[in-house]
Amino acid sequence: MEHEPLLIRRAIAGDEEALRALWARHAPHIDMVVRRLVGGDADLAADIAQEVWIQIFRALPSYRGDSQFSTWAHRIAVNRTLNALRKTKRLANLETEVTEDSASVDPDPDRTFVAQSIEAAAAQLSPGARAVFMMHDVEGYTHEEIAEQLGITPGGSKSQLFKARGKLRKLLAHLVDVRDVELPRKEPAHVAPVY
Amino acid sequence: MSHLSTDRLAALADEPPTATELAHLSACAECARERAAFRALAEVAAAESARIGSPLTSWETLRPALVADRIIDDGSANILASRTRRVSRPWLQAAAAVLLVLGGAMAGRYSTGASPLPIVESNPVATASVPADSVPQFRSIDDARVAQLQSQALYQMATAYLAAQDTSIRAVDSPAAIRTRLAALDRATQAIGQALNDAPYDPVINGYYLSTLGQREATLRQLNTVMPASMRITTY
Repeated sequence: MEHEPLLIRRAIAGDEEALRALWARHAPHIDMVVRRLVGGDADLAADIAQEVWIQIFRALPSYRGDSQFSTWAHRIAVNRTLNALRKTKRLANLETEVTEDSASVDPDPDRTFVAQSIEAAAAQLSPGARAVFMMHDVEGYTHEEIAEQLGITPGGSKSQLFKARGKLRKLLAHLVDVRDVELPRKEPAHVAPVY
Repeated sequence: MSHLSTDRLAALADEPPTATELAHLSACAECARERAAFRALAEVAAAESARIGSPLTSWETLRPALVADRIIDDGSANILASRTRRVSRPWLQAAAAVLLVLGGAMAGRYSTGASPLPIVESNPVATASVPADSVPQFRSIDDARVAQLQSQALYQMATAYLAAQDTSIRAVDSPAAIRTRLAALDRATQAIGQALNDAPYDPVINGYYLSTLGQREATLRQLNTVMPASMRITTY
């Protein structure tokens, strides 16, 4: 595998093969980030992924090498995808979504869609809740970073995250349910309230 | 204590419980199960970050967009690093050709121990006859860097020379068009100057900066040739 800094220099110099090699090396990860943030709309995800790659290559001369190329490209992918979602009005009124989304959680998990993967389950979330969940729990962003990216408060990000987890916990019950939990003490719950 | 709320249990997937919550969790099997489920969800989510899927893009569909965006040039003239000076003016194309030919020749002389080309007196017509086999093989990064700097300086000189001497451009470029270019170059100079503050040793940024300054000076000279004598600029 070619040394990446050299590949990047060649790409900046306009070497098509280098551009293609960078794309081939990183597309599986970058495109996956786009797919996660967009949700179930495959056509929209493909359009945005193409925009993301154009933006990555446009910005390539500004890449300083301070971080890994994958990290740098990942940030562009997240930013560009969120911008694209804003343009489609899918990320409008995020703070309002918190309340709306919490009301949409089906209280009966047996009657809800049963997801086979976290990606499929997250596609059932509202765009805002999905963005927060994916950025925090999957991509590792902090609430402060998410708040900055989405134009909400860190508290709003937390609230959105917990609602999203609540819904996903139901949708993925077959994957995450724990049948037996050992308690340190054998005593009936709630007999003596603990305060 | 009543059961912990769903939101709170979701938070406890990656936050420590308070002493009261801990006491409750140690006594309430239902809440403990829910907390365990949220922790399992967090693990599934963390594992998701390493998962890759089939790409959404293909090079066959991406490439035309990159060509349309001029990131990939179907020809061989230009790409990302030189986008700011990408124009189709014949005199600039000539300058680029001079740069390629003279830069190669000069680097070749350098690599063999000879002194670099006399820049001011260089004659594009004469040097255009440099044989193709004189294209240099750099012995080290330092060799290449030196040649790069010399080529940049030569490029600026050639551009300024062409702007002053090549009369063919006068019929093509109006004063208004030249002023527009000058304004654009001023903006570019300012932006790249700021970039240079952030990355003073970055060779790409330095290259941009030198090229933009050279083009700006050449444009000023060119503007002078089409202005009435009373309106000519005397300082750059």
